[in-house]
Amino acid sequence: MQIFIQTLVTGIVTGCLYALIALGYSMVYGILKLLNFAHGDLYMIGAFVGYFVIQWFGGATALIIPVPLLIIIMFLLAGVGVGGLGMAIERFAYRPLRDAPRIAPLITALGISFILEDSVLLLFGGFVRQYNAPAFIPFSTGITVDGVNIDVVQIMIVTVSVLMMLGLFVLVNRTLFGKSMRAVASDREAAEMLGIDVNRVVALTFFIGSALAGIAGVMSGLNFEPISSIIGFLAGLKAFTAAVVGGIGSIPGAMIGGLLIGLCESFSSSYISSQYSDLIVFGILIATMLVRPQGVFGQPPLQKV
Amino acid sequence: MAPVGVDEWVARSGDKREQATGLRGILVRISERVGWWPRLALLAIGGFVFAQLGINVNEQTVAFNSVIYAILAVGLNITVGWAGLLDLGYVAFFGVGAYGYALFSSHAFGTLALSTGGIHLPVIATIPIVLVAAGILGVLIGLVALRLEGDYLAIVTLFVGTAFVEAVNNIAPTTLGGNNGLFGLDPFHAFGGRISSVRGYYYLGLIMLIVLMAALRLLEHSRTGRAWRALRDDPLAAEVMTVPVNALKVMAFSFGAIVAALAGTLFAGEQDSVFPPDFQSIILITIYACLVLGGVGGIAGAVLGGVTVTVAEALLSSPTDSSYLFYGLILLAVIARVRPWRHMIMVVGAIVGLGLAARAIVGAISHSAVSGSAGTVGWIGRVMHHYVIVPSGPASLTYGKIMYAILICALILIVQLKGVWRLVAVVPTVYVAACCWESLLIVESGTTAVVMLGAILVVMMAARPHGLLGQRKVEVV
Amino acid sequence: MKVRRLFLGALGVMALASVTVFGASSSAHSATAAKAACKASIAVEAPFATGPAIQQGLEQLHFAQLAVANDNKSLGIKVTLGQNDTGLNPALATTRSQAIIASPAVAVVGPAGSQEVEAVGPLFKAAGMAFISGSATNSTLTSGANPTFFRVVAPDSVQGPQDANYIIKKLKPKAILIIDDEEAYSTGLVSVMTPIFTAAGITVNHQSYNGNDTGATLSSDLSSLVTSQLNPSETVVVLPWQSAPNAELFGQTMQQQGKTATLFGTDGTNVPGQFTIPGAFSSNFGPDISTSKSALDKALVKGVKKYGPYGPFGVPAYVATDVAMHAIASVCKAGKKPTRANVLAAVRKTNIPAGKNPLGLPIVFKANGEMKNAVFYLFKIQPNGKYLQVPSKA
Repeated sequence: MQIFIQTLVTGIVTGCLYALIALGYSMVYGILKLLNFAHGDLYMIGAFVGYFVIQWFGGATALIIPVPLLIIIMFLLAGVGVGGLGMAIERFAYRPLRDAPRIAPLITALGISFILEDSVLLLFGGFVRQYNAPAFIPFSTGITVDGVNIDVVQIMIVTVSVLMMLGLFVLVNRTLFGKSMRAVASDREAAEMLGIDVNRVVALTFFIGSALAGIAGVMSGLNFEPISSIIGFLAGLKAFTAAVVGGIGSIPGAMIGGLLIGLCESFSSSYISSQYSDLIVFGILIATMLVRPQGVFGQPPLQKV
Repeated sequence: MAPVGVDEWVARSGDKREQATGLRGILVRISERVGWWPRLALLAIGGFVFAQLGINVNEQTVAFNSVIYAILAVGLNITVGWAGLLDLGYVAFFGVGAYGYALFSSHAFGTLALSTGGIHLPVIATIPIVLVAAGILGVLIGLVALRLEGDYLAIVTLFVGTAFVEAVNNIAPTTLGGNNGLFGLDPFHAFGGRISSVRGYYYLGLIMLIVLMAALRLLEHSRTGRAWRALRDDPLAAEVMTVPVNALKVMAFSFGAIVAALAGTLFAGEQDSVFPPDFQSIILITIYACLVLGGVGGIAGAVLGGVTVTVAEALLSSPTDSSYLFYGLILLAVIARVRPWRHMIMVVGAIVGLGLAARAIVGAISHSAVSGSAGTVGWIGRVMHHYVIVPSGPASLTYGKIMYAILICALILIVQLKGVWRLVAVVPTVYVAACCWESLLIVESGTTAVVMLGAILVVMMAARPHGLLGQRKVEVV
Repeated sequence: MKVRRLFLGALGVMALASVTVFGASSSAHSATAAKAACKASIAVEAPFATGPAIQQGLEQLHFAQLAVANDNKSLGIKVTLGQNDTGLNPALATTRSQAIIASPAVAVVGPAGSQEVEAVGPLFKAAGMAFISGSATNSTLTSGANPTFFRVVAPDSVQGPQDANYIIKKLKPKAILIIDDEEAYSTGLVSVMTPIFTAAGITVNHQSYNGNDTGATLSSDLSSLVTSQLNPSETVVVLPWQSAPNAELFGQTMQQQGKTATLFGTDGTNVPGQFTIPGAFSSNFGPDISTSKSALDKALVKGVKKYGPYGPFGVPAYVATDVAMHAIASVCKAGKKPTRANVLAAVRKTNIPAGKNPLGLPIVFKANGEMKNAVFYLFKIQPNGKYLQVPSKA
């Protein structure tokens, strides 16, 4: 039972992180039909921002400000900074390609990914960094369920993720901006004709999606993830998978997809084999997709004749 | 007369090309009159003559790698370019080819009781076996993929790529070598002869490439080729027109797989070893970069892309060459993009003047601030030493990092600025770039190479979204 | 209009003048450079820009750069260092090696991984070039296929048994958990150590996780391993990994889940500041130079400070470069040209005394390229995260 609960906790926490990153993927895909493979690198930059915030305020073992304030500053800076970076990337790299064939931005994204990763190497070096979060958020501050310790960071990850997803859901479904976003998603040219500033909508979407990735970076750093220039690739890959499984372009889909992958991973490596966990996860996903080819939450596309 | 299905705008660009005057117009018309097979012959002759020019083993290796990536890109073009199936498991077939060669033409099976010492089949027998195996595997995966479209297909095929590496790592570690790989393989051998030099493999690769290009050219204009394109442009319409959609999809997968496996055998022979990391996602990404850069949908584009990416990568990896490339590209950008001529001369003059002045002023204030040596070796470095500001000692690294940050901000600014102000901003930006290059970028030249490769990809895609040889096409919305 | 023309003219004159100045000064510069007595170039191959081991690769590169700078001064030679990123990928290493062979380089430092050594060995054999690795530890590399290969670290067949025996005799576990990361380095060590444990009557629980694609893990694999595989009877966990941060992650996850066991990492985990779990052990090719009193080590620590922290791969890379530099110097001293053959012969006769290199061992090679009396050091991590050297022989 203990193993089961522990595995469940691990799966949900990782799944929430995947979901946050997947959201950005899915939103961008929804409005531009563009696979932003540089998205994982934004997550990496977010993790770095959080690390430097800790260093500015004295380092993990000698913080000069209270921990909640530190975490708020980390989230704000990572969100705004990475969001802005995402907007800049859209403006300079993707906008010129908006009417290009669908596969062209893939290569641009690859180029951006090279530039981001190796710029980080040039500026900060290759030494892998750690937040060392247990030094300022002790493990003892948490709750115990049936002998399983769930610490504050894990609770925070789940809470923050759920709040952000709810916020996003409200934003997309209840606000004017959300309406224009959906309009651009369903038909960009028609939206433009109706007077919607498409460039603004796209830029804001990139901002929000990137900010979520940045915040996910900070949170996974707090959850002891080592921080280096290469962590974005794997995170991006997992998030892409989550987005597709959930039904790419769908916001609840990205959340469910992320959770699904997180849980599949933790249960398969706990109960079956950690050696083949990637294969098992992929196998489950493919089985899911053969049953529902449009993803769990995806709508079958309207065939235009 | 524009072909059917090309819209008005594109047709007009076609007209413009026909009306081009001067030398360019003549060249365009001549090249259009030349059929495909003389061009192919020209490529073949060029390829052979190139290897006869007394090139060294490094250039031979780069040439061989270009051929490998060209073959891979041409094969990927069948699946992605013609049939429009986003196949992210393509690299697995490359691996199947390589491991297939290691199994059938070398000692790998020697670990089994039945075949002590391995089965050293001649390559002429191995290649058909491997290609048939890869083709069957392609059919199987194609059958699974039938239910899925677009990005959903991408995920399933991505699994194939991951599964291949995992399988090699974990299944039958004594035969497949696990993550230790298989090494000391036999070279290509048949009819008592063997290939023992990189140049030999290059020639063989070139022959394979030329034959492949010719065969694919025929396929492209056959009934199947047309059906593939119909399928890619509008699957529903194609199906209505009684095009056998499913069979065509499976065929595209299978053909792509066969070409990739062919490249794999050649690769394994030349390397005389195979290791799981050789077939990881980075190789797949590179193949995609080749194809998209060259222009999806065209055979010549795929080949050009393969050559471009491989050569760019090789040039960037050498610090001296990458310095030439860096300063050359800046110079070229200024000369080609700044118009009219007198503006261009003014900008170049100002760049030179600003640097000399800045260095003189800073040098007068503090000698150690300019006494660091320029990172580039050779005459460029000696010239640059009198031009850029590089502090001596450990400070140069920090200085270089600051310059790098400034450079990125300045580049973003330049794109935003308009008119004269953009020209004015170019001058200090180029100087900052030179200072940064000499103090940081060339010192960490390996890392810089990746950044530059990324920048080249971004700029090239922005300049030619349809690829180097790609044709503008209107997507059906 | 006139003003502009005048301005243009002035700019033109300025440009012309500056070109002349450059030309004159650069020719003067090359005239002085030609006088230097012993000129050669060497190349370093390491995964410092791409692939999963950038941290280790950059460390090797920076220490090699430092060694070249130091030895150029102290040995009075003028050697330049070419850098080649291999991404820990054998195919890329092959391409880069061909580039090195076509260049004037006379010796190679690296490559880093054992797979890469296997891939490039035949090329350097054919070119008659010495290549000296500071991190490839697979035992089979020196069994004859690579006659120009040298290494300044002990092979797995030394580290594996030494660590295993230490665990058996000092930590006395009844059962252990050993986890490989599916890299060749890791699986190689596991296959050496597991039989020793089994022979000593210890129950071995062997697991693996996928550390292949990147050095980092954003995955629940490690967490799940702690949850489901670390049984209370297993008092020692052996982590033969390249990545110290992942070892730290494993340790922190154990603390998070309230589990206890002694962690035992191999050389890759030996990074003070990254692997800091108190009570854990970590073995290493070299001694800890950060606390050393010797002037050489102090200068080394100062020299690499600008690059930030470093781990276990720097010192061997420094020594590997040292070997090449000394070989070139000795060839020049004997009045010969530093050709590949001469340098290779000189590398075979390398003899750098223990006090003159940061490994603290006399650097002398056996005929197969293996170091004579290479050892592994063992460290125990203190509660403050500092590394304390402990006697490694059980």
